[in-house]
Amino acid sequence: MTPTRLCSLFLVVLGVACVWALATIMPGGLGMLAAPGDSLTGILLRYNWLPRLVASLLGGAGLALAGVLMQQTLRNPLAAPTTLGVVSGVHLALLLATLFAPWLLLHVRGVVGFVGGAAAMGLVFALAWRRALAPTVVVLAGLVVNLYLGALVVVLLLFNQEALRGMMIWGAGSLAQNNWDGVFYLLPRLAIGALAATALSRALALLDLDDVNAKNLGVSLQYLRAGALGVAVFVASVVVVELGVIGFVGLAAPSIVRLAGARTLKARLVWAPVLGALLLAVTDQVLQLTTHDSAALIPTGATTAALGAPLLLWLIPRLNMRRPVPQTMAEAPTVRLRAPSRLLLALVVAAAAMVVIALLVGRGADGWTWPLQLPWAETGAWRLPRVLAAGAAGLMLSLAGTIIQRVSGNPMASPEVLGISAGTAMGVLAVILLWPAAGTSVMLGAGIFGAFATLALLVVLNARSDFEPERVLLTGISVLFLFDAISKIVLAGSDPRTQQLLAWMSGTTYYVDMPLALTVTALAAVLLLATRPLAAWLDLLPLGVPTARALGVNVTFSRLLLLAVVAVLTAGATLVVGPLSFVGLLAPHMARLLGLTRAREQLAGAVVIGALLMILADWAGRVVLFPSEIPAGLVATLIGGSYFMWRLRRM
Amino acid sequence: MGWLVGLALFVSGGLGVANAQPTPRVAAIDWGQAQTLIAIGAAPVAMAQIASYGDWVGGPAVPDSVRELGLRVQPNMELLSQLDLDAITITPMYANSRTRLAQVASVESIDVYYHEGSAWDNTVESTRKLARLVHREAAAEQLIETTRADIEAAARRLPADPEPLLVIQFIDARHVRVFGDNSLIGNVMTRMGVANAWQEQTNFWGFALVPIERLAAIENARMAVLDPMPVGVAEEIASSVLWQSLPAVRDRPILDLPAVWSFGGLPSATRFARGLAAAYDGRETAGETETPESAP
Repeated sequence: MTPTRLCSLFLVVLGVACVWALATIMPGGLGMLAAPGDSLTGILLRYNWLPRLVASLLGGAGLALAGVLMQQTLRNPLAAPTTLGVVSGVHLALLLATLFAPWLLLHVRGVVGFVGGAAAMGLVFALAWRRALAPTVVVLAGLVVNLYLGALVVVLLLFNQEALRGMMIWGAGSLAQNNWDGVFYLLPRLAIGALAATALSRALALLDLDDVNAKNLGVSLQYLRAGALGVAVFVASVVVVELGVIGFVGLAAPSIVRLAGARTLKARLVWAPVLGALLLAVTDQVLQLTTHDSAALIPTGATTAALGAPLLLWLIPRLNMRRPVPQTMAEAPTVRLRAPSRLLLALVVAAAAMVVIALLVGRGADGWTWPLQLPWAETGAWRLPRVLAAGAAGLMLSLAGTIIQRVSGNPMASPEVLGISAGTAMGVLAVILLWPAAGTSVMLGAGIFGAFATLALLVVLNARSDFEPERVLLTGISVLFLFDAISKIVLAGSDPRTQQLLAWMSGTTYYVDMPLALTVTALAAVLLLATRPLAAWLDLLPLGVPTARALGVNVTFSRLLLLAVVAVLTAGATLVVGPLSFVGLLAPHMARLLGLTRAREQLAGAVVIGALLMILADWAGRVVLFPSEIPAGLVATLIGGSYFMWRLRRM
Repeated sequence: MGWLVGLALFVSGGLGVANAQPTPRVAAIDWGQAQTLIAIGAAPVAMAQIASYGDWVGGPAVPDSVRELGLRVQPNMELLSQLDLDAITITPMYANSRTRLAQVASVESIDVYYHEGSAWDNTVESTRKLARLVHREAAAEQLIETTRADIEAAARRLPADPEPLLVIQFIDARHVRVFGDNSLIGNVMTRMGVANAWQEQTNFWGFALVPIERLAAIENARMAVLDPMPVGVAEEIASSVLWQSLPAVRDRPILDLPAVWSFGGLPSATRFARGLAAAYDGRETAGETETPESAP
């Protein structure tokens, strides 16, 4: 199918959807087309339906244009405003402005959005710079930034649910318009973006060559890349600021036209915006048609993202990911410690000290209290299950993180990336919505079910590629996008129960009771012991498939088993501390940096560090804003973020 | 006016009810319940998110003695267990906190929206249940009576034969909450003899979240907008042709109402009724706490 045919097909679909939508949602059906311009029907047509249609076309085109520019500049088929963190950056920047400097929004809303988007993308680049911006690394770095910014968004929403309700609708991308202002805002800015893209297109096309050849042709690559990305961020932030967070179009449209045969950059620059415009407009018309009489709001932007996730799953195996980039995935050499056991002992002592502090030090009704000043029933009895659960969750996440990083040979991998936590979260979400009065145990069951459903999906989709780590990770990212989209739809619904959802999503140990804490601790202990015999694989698998095979490892079986262990570990931890946390990413890193390079040593070091980090995060979250609590997952995320900055400086 | 009576009772409570049982120490998680307890002179020992209560519920004001518990979904357990509570009141929305709270004090789950019956009847019933819990039955009956009387008094101030009313609250410039018949607000309207112009679907709590074009089909209605307005909305709707052309906006002046916690107790009902009457009068909502500013 050629791009021309594909777009014609979508145009026909859009035409049908428009006629049908008009006939259904307008008072008077299709007869309204003949209504006089100043009648209410005429005004609805001209100031609501028509600007919304045009805005959706413009928004889709703009995002697709940004996607093409990003993909071409980075030579990365998965680059897009969402994957590079631009959308999250705009989102957080506007939330912060709403809360702390609302006057900014009246005058320089667009600037606020652009600065947020550019800063987020800059962060992604900083993370992936040393790996020469290799496609998968960029996407994983983007994911980390998305998680980080997403955690901050969740906490802002948690503490300001009433004040930010409107921002939740915007955050889910409702395209409702009530005049032509939105279109007039978008049109000139997108035109500038399109002109700039055209001007750059010839030079950008040379990027299809490799860097050396492009340089020989006299292209200043740095300025070209910076310029093209600047245009892309500008276009994307303009669309997001005006229409809200719209997932996926920027990723899907360029990829689809490429698969449909738009081989040259020029062809993609023409067809991707056309297809993007049609994709968003069709989705929006169909949604107007299906939700025109419901009491809830189903926003278009999040729906595109939810529909897009399966498409992304389908696309991944068809994308050419093996681009000629220098092999930079190898980990930085670290010097192995001569006496790792001494370091491990020190870590254990530190963790034990943290447990004592977390149990005995805190604030009470009348300020800070001495250890044991208040009865145990009023302090420690509440703290013990939380400390246990936080420690066990940290342990399980870091265990899972170490395994996944070793199996994938990718230092950016972490359990969150696999999507298991997102799967667990979707199960819990379903219970909160469908069975509002259900207790904790029902939620736990649903969470476990969600985790294993995700695992099954991972296995089914990746069996054919022999569980190639990169594809497994990308599958996980797709699941994560799906969860993100669904939770945004729910949050936009303005249901009073969403605060409960927010509370859990932000990763708090608040809901843990003693039986659950003991269960999780036992689970962590059993899995820790069960992982010991698998450590040999973890030393051999990073050497590469041929080497591992030659050394007698059944690669498929070992990967599958390790994947299952990771899934159970992640599910157990997610039930306790929610889907957001960086511990699984951080702890293995830190262990390796400290010189624990062999699998068994790294595992031991990582689990102690992970437990310590989580207990510290939980304790800090409980005492800093007493009696309000900052969720442990968020505190861990903040610690993790700072750690990343520190790492970046060293690179 | 009901809560003023309640406040007076609260102030005189130390003398007047001294021979009765001592007031149990109660913590309230839900704002509507905290509001009711304050109104019947038995302010809770502790409640959640006091600062936001001021912005979104408005009144009656929270006495200084009331302790802050943190987020409504996560009241601080250590603090709760240090307060020697006799009871904690919740709604079924906080059901998953129940077993945890029960370790501190007996938990009373008092419901308005999760069972059959009109929001008004259930709110009245919930007021009585709360009152039994704190031995303030008389004050509760008085609150119920004053609320009824206040609503009737407010209704008498309305013009004869008022148009159907469309009560909305802006979420952003393009989306509003519309309150239907089975919201507390809808019930108060019915008691005031005002028809509700919104007869389409609503959710569990009696409101619908819709883009503003859904209001276009509603003719012959009076629009009433609840505070607070989010930042920038006033500017945006002022230039919106669609908004200006809605029959309910085009044909009659819009009524500005103070912030009313639409899931609140009887004081919120009074607040709405008085606000509505005052808006019709074109007068200020006299004697109340001032209208909260737009979102912080």
